Amino acid sequence: MSGFVTLEDVIEADPFPDVDLALRRGRHVDRDDADWYAFLVDAQALLEGFYRRFGCELIHRTDGYFYLLPTADRLGRRHLSSGEMLVGQALTLLYLDPASVEHSGVVTREQVLAQLAGVMGADALVRAMNPKRRRYDERVAEEAVRSKVAEALRRLATLGFVEAIDETRVRLRPALMRFAEPARAAVAPEKALASLVAAGELVLTEEGTDSEETEPDALEQPDALAPEDSEELE
Amino acid sequence: MGAQKNGGVRARRDLRSVGALARVRAADLRAGAPSVGNVSYRPLRLPLSVAETRPDPQHFLSSLAQRGVAVELETPDLCFLAALYLRSERGSLASFPEEHLVDVFEQANAVIEPEGGASRRATHAIRRLREQRMLARVDGAGVLRAGEYVLTRLATGIVEFFLDDETLTHENLTLLTHTLLASLSSVVSAARCARDPEAWRGGVVGPLRVTIAELVSGIQRRQRGFDLRQEQLQHEIAALLQADWFGAVDRCQSLLDATSLTLRELNQVLLRDAHDLHAALQEIQDASVAAGVQDAEETCRVIADQVDRIAAWGAARQRAWSGYYQYVLRFLRDIVRIDPSRVTTHRVRERLAGQGGRPFALMVAAAPAPRLLRDVEPPAGERPPVRRRRPKPEPALSEEPAEDPQTKLDTDVRAVMASGVRGLGELTTRLTSELPESQRFVAAGRIAYTAARVSRPDARAERPWVPIEGGLEIEEWTLGEPE
Repeated sequence: MSGFVTLEDVIEADPFPDVDLALRRGRHVDRDDADWYAFLVDAQALLEGFYRRFGCELIHRTDGYFYLLPTADRLGRRHLSSGEMLVGQALTLLYLDPASVEHSGVVTREQVLAQLAGVMGADALVRAMNPKRRRYDERVAEEAVRSKVAEALRRLATLGFVEAIDETRVRLRPALMRFAEPARAAVAPEKALASLVAAGELVLTEEGTDSEETEPDALEQPDALAPEDSEELE
Repeated sequence: MGAQKNGGVRARRDLRSVGALARVRAADLRAGAPSVGNVSYRPLRLPLSVAETRPDPQHFLSSLAQRGVAVELETPDLCFLAALYLRSERGSLASFPEEHLVDVFEQANAVIEPEGGASRRATHAIRRLREQRMLARVDGAGVLRAGEYVLTRLATGIVEFFLDDETLTHENLTLLTHTLLASLSSVVSAARCARDPEAWRGGVVGPLRVTIAELVSGIQRRQRGFDLRQEQLQHEIAALLQADWFGAVDRCQSLLDATSLTLRELNQVLLRDAHDLHAALQEIQDASVAAGVQDAEETCRVIADQVDRIAAWGAARQRAWSGYYQYVLRFLRDIVRIDPSRVTTHRVRERLAGQGGRPFALMVAAAPAPRLLRDVEPPAGERPPVRRRRPKPEPALSEEPAEDPQTKLDTDVRAVMASGVRGLGELTTRLTSELPESQRFVAAGRIAYTAARVSRPDARAERPWVPIEGGLEIEEWTLGEPE
């Protein structure tokens, strides 16, 4: 039973400013964010209409997490970089692995790197993380991979996909299941992918394409940056 | 498999395998370092006895490091020790004659390594164990006859760790706390009746240090056993899911529920009985303060601290277990039950390996942070208005007519020639007479050039050199009328 009767009640609630800012910045809120999650569950019906006016959908997955999905250009949005996607998928595999259950989903950065290298192969990983370099020194490229994985982990932590415990360890969170969405549907993965693209959940990319961030109504401003200028990474 | 590290001892315990493997490092005492057994194994015998004064940790660790204390125990040696321990327990033996040691070693060896060749290795094993203070010779007969040996406290402690499966249960915790309360009640009675130091020592301090401390130690030892069991349980749940993904759900669920129930019951018992234990200890402490028996008061304080730790253990474990329980429950409900054939894992793996179709990227909201303007605080008092700093104006320049030195020289040359001078030597002398000597050489050249411009010199083949002022010599030209 919701404790909120009107939208005004929701906005006046203590958690609202923090939760609202976090959602608008792409944060995924799950049961581990106990107060925020409880607030969102209570206010869900009222907030869905509220955010729809900003061209966003407040999504609540059965895995137990909320996030804001912009479906128009009123609110800034971006797609994850290729590095973030690779690291996110490796984290998802670790999340699905029963071995991680033993430590309540706490994994080390080395485990993430080992997962990436194990599934993709070391060479493919180095190439994927250094897409613009045609020739590279092995040692330098490996160092670049490590730093890019660390950077991706940091960014995924700010989005609520993982929780950074310390410099080397992260706790896996349920929002990682977003990376597995195309693989979870009962239909063929390509069909599931197409429907998720249509819903604005994800975009199809080419290899090496990095994150693009779209400012609200950017295309209507005469001095707006071209998309390639607004790349956040590299 | 659990791992326990204590002081200089490292032991690994595998309850699922028949042969317990222990590797306990330690090479204490090549040259008679004293009482290795005590220092190395003490952490396994829990907890601290209140009768003893604990050494300063820093001093104690330095002492261990200086003596190079270490224990190294291979699996066959551990099995040998275990066989000796069991033999002495069953036969109620106080010591082992040397031939019994060899006999037990051969029997143990026959179990773990069916091939022969044990007799020679028995000698080495006995030597190794004696060097590491696991076996001690007690007969003192030296070379007169074969020796009698006993297991040291270090050896029995290690074997007991692998042998005993002591863990805290609702039943034994209730029994232990009730025994503890009963013992404390008798100590309380003794404290009430004690009138002299002897009565305090025999009826209060003694039982507190021995009986009560041992019972408290027993609870703490079982708590550590429970911790170890819990760690194994977490490993077991992960292994069950690895082995039989969907089929293990019910088994995992029942393991989780059973442990949760046990923890809840233990915590309830601890919370309930800790209060009664504290009340009894407080009464003894009050009586000892009134009687001025500092020893009893101090002992009560130490035991009360131990009881506090025991009570805190339950709450701490329940908190920690709650997080794990929630995580596994969610894993079973959201991942295992929804994906019984693990097809999701397979597809994500394929996609990450680049074999799962076109790459994609998740969309996330990325609204920029709101710009928060600072509050403007007006400056206190009158301050001059802010103006842009301007550079100092440059001084005004006056216009001066430019003077061509060649024109001036032309004029001067013409003026001197107009006075009737026709020789270059005299012309030069007149025009350079006021110049410093250092400038006359250059000036002489310019005067000759100017004289040739304003008049026509006589072009004879032979022109004499004449001296002029300043130690210079020049060709003497005869100049014509200026043009």
